[in-house]
Amino acid sequence: MALDQAQPSRSWPRGALWRRLRWIVVPIVVVPLTAVLFTGFGRDPSVIPSPLIGKPMPSFSLTALDGHTVSSAELAGKPLIVNFWASWCAPCVQEHPVLLDTARRYGERVAIVGILYNDTAEGAAGFLARYGDGGWPDLLDPSGGTAVSFGVTGPPETFFVDASGVVRGKQFGPVTADVVTAQLAALGVKATP
Amino acid sequence: MLPTLGHAAIVVGLATSVFAVVAFVVGGRRADATLLAAARRGIYLTFGLALAASLVMVTSLLTHDFSVLYVANNNATTTPPFFSVISLWAALEGSILFWTLLLTGYASLVIYRYRDRHRQLMPWTGATLAAIATFFFAVMTWPGNPFIRTTPVATEGPGPNALLQNNPFMGLHPPLLYLGYTGMAVPFAFGIAALVTRRTNEEWLAIVRRWTIVPWIFLSLGITAGAWWSYEVLGWGGYWAWDPVENAALLPWLTATAFIHASMVAERRGALKVWSSALVLATFVLTLVGTFLTRSGVVASVHSFTQSAIGPWFLAAIVISLGGGLSLLIWRLPDLHDRDRPAATVSRESAFLFNNVLFLGLTFAVLFGTLLPLIVELFGGGTISVGAPWFDRVNVPIFLALVFLMGVGPALPWGGTSWKTAQERFGIPILAGVAAVVLVLALGMRAPAPIATIGLAVFVAVVMGDEVVRGTRVRGRARHEGPPTALWRLATRNRRRYGGYLAHAGVLVMAIAISISATLGTDATATLTPGQTMQVAGYTLTYRDFANEALPDNASVIEHRAEIAYAGPQTGTLTTALRDYPSSTTPIATPAVRTSLGEDLYVTLIAYDPTAKSATLHVFVNPGVMWIWLGGGILGLGAAFAIWPDRRRLPAEVAEELTAPAPSAPAEA
Repeated sequence: MALDQAQPSRSWPRGALWRRLRWIVVPIVVVPLTAVLFTGFGRDPSVIPSPLIGKPMPSFSLTALDGHTVSSAELAGKPLIVNFWASWCAPCVQEHPVLLDTARRYGERVAIVGILYNDTAEGAAGFLARYGDGGWPDLLDPSGGTAVSFGVTGPPETFFVDASGVVRGKQFGPVTADVVTAQLAALGVKATP
Repeated sequence: MLPTLGHAAIVVGLATSVFAVVAFVVGGRRADATLLAAARRGIYLTFGLALAASLVMVTSLLTHDFSVLYVANNNATTTPPFFSVISLWAALEGSILFWTLLLTGYASLVIYRYRDRHRQLMPWTGATLAAIATFFFAVMTWPGNPFIRTTPVATEGPGPNALLQNNPFMGLHPPLLYLGYTGMAVPFAFGIAALVTRRTNEEWLAIVRRWTIVPWIFLSLGITAGAWWSYEVLGWGGYWAWDPVENAALLPWLTATAFIHASMVAERRGALKVWSSALVLATFVLTLVGTFLTRSGVVASVHSFTQSAIGPWFLAAIVISLGGGLSLLIWRLPDLHDRDRPAATVSRESAFLFNNVLFLGLTFAVLFGTLLPLIVELFGGGTISVGAPWFDRVNVPIFLALVFLMGVGPALPWGGTSWKTAQERFGIPILAGVAAVVLVLALGMRAPAPIATIGLAVFVAVVMGDEVVRGTRVRGRARHEGPPTALWRLATRNRRRYGGYLAHAGVLVMAIAISISATLGTDATATLTPGQTMQVAGYTLTYRDFANEALPDNASVIEHRAEIAYAGPQTGTLTTALRDYPSSTTPIATPAVRTSLGEDLYVTLIAYDPTAKSATLHVFVNPGVMWIWLGGGILGLGAAFAIWPDRRRLPAEVAEELTAPAPSAPAEA
């Protein structure tokens, strides 16, 4: 292809035509490459849609930091936020105030449960002492079995479950106030003004 | 405080590089020596600023300053100092910073080296390099700011990417690769300067040949080191998977290799000039495409960082440099006519021409395979992936043809030759190649790829050996020197040719080793309880015990370890493990590799059951793998030998030349 261009342009065969059309080479090369590379935009290779959406929440029965046992069955009956987190996780620090605020704004109409991901009771207690304890149960998952059944790839991940126990939404990475408001509105709850 | 200074250095760096672009262009047009000197100082300053920002980042990582978001996301208080330092390139923002450091380093070297020479070329070269630096400083000022602060400040972070943390090799592979990538900006800048100033004669090619081979050596070593890392860390028993990011490093290597060959024709015979310029342009654009693919999350790969706002910026840079460079090239076509035409069909020129056609074929094949998933998606075809078998099938024949040319090309004279000479030169080597094929067939080898590779490699080796022996004998007789002295003097007086032979010898070693290891390995999987044994290709492995332990230098990492004794061609004990890192949800394999000249015993732990103490092991016996790494080393050594400055001829330049980065040196120099 371009090897032909190594010929001198002065003695170029059909020189006039080539000279007139040569600028077409630029868009011919640039446009397809740009289009192809542009296709990839807006795609995050780490996002795999959760297969849990529309399915009942996996059941669990775990020990909370305060020693009580909490099971998924007890949490049914109202919209539920399941938040996987860890004290060593920087984005969890970022989203923690949003969760505290959510607990305050929605009060008794929404249940929140935290499930610790690859973390110890001491680490979690230190985190809550430092950044504030919202009063919802935080459950230890020492074997990681509950995280596996939810398909968690890394904290923070947050699941939004409706009153009948069906998973309706999932957030990868830290939740923001907007995400929480939108997800809970989809479950039919509005914040106290 | 310190991070604020780091950010300030970047903003000042942006302003300085913009100033340097303007000062180089204006100073060059007005031939204003004062302004040009100021522009040069601007380039040195950008390097100083990039260095300062990098030091701030390294300090923040070492002191675990979690108020910096990058540190909070990529460091932990338990991270050992070595891994804290190399976390500079653990994630997106840090690697852009490191990239800028290397780029401005190269730019400063080039600008200083030619500060009082090539007066027409240098202003535009400087302006182009400063423009590229501007781009990177701008990326760090807006979408990829490495010094973003975070509140509230965390007390602990997740630590670096687990794959980076798991092997000290990550301290070597990325810097080598980045040195290769960033260095390709230098030939690009000279190419642009030559086209703008219409000085498209041999001047820029002579400069650029060396400035291409230096980053090319780094790129070659970086790719080899990456393959080595993949082999030693990922635990799947192989070293090359045609992963999009591996391809992204291979693409500029292919075009740069093509350029190194084409530029010899351009320099010696005044031919292939447009072609050489196009290759320089393509190489630089492909380094940007490679970065784009790696860093924007466009293709799924083990190397992908999460999606970021940097993607559109890189796409814009690709469009500007490709569109702009190509337009400039087309505009200047009338200046790029060849001095004379390739003479005969059987000549060194035509061998180089075929060589370039084949390299172009490889480049298109790899680019096509890498981008095909995106192309299919563009036309609404859903998500597909192109696997290793496709790449192997397409690229292996082209590569074998290149090996063949490697023997033919250097043995043919410039201009052309008669069939009779060709017969004399190639008769015995062809017979040797055929004999080698017969021999390996007789030894029972049946896989076609290694048979073809060995036959071709023997042919090439005999051609090269013949050249070397003949040259040494002629010189020895004429000057009454013993063979070693004659060979050394011959080689150091014809560095380009003999360095090329050495590099080609490295490729032959790699080619044979790759073809053998890829086809003749054996592997087996078994689940064992303590005391049980398994047999693989002459080895007996005895599973002794299982252990769970925190790493001595990093308590947050738990290692699940199988202890194994092995007997066979090699004998000893090994441990292979899966490690749980807090920053990773999947356990990281830590394969055990026992390397010998003949073969590697490679044991990886796939699964374990701590209660039963059982372990599932995947054992590979991979022949010849060590020779791949050795071949890569020989390749780099040969290229370094070819460009090593000649002390005897240019004594005044040697001191300066030595400041240019060159990774390995022959013993004498």
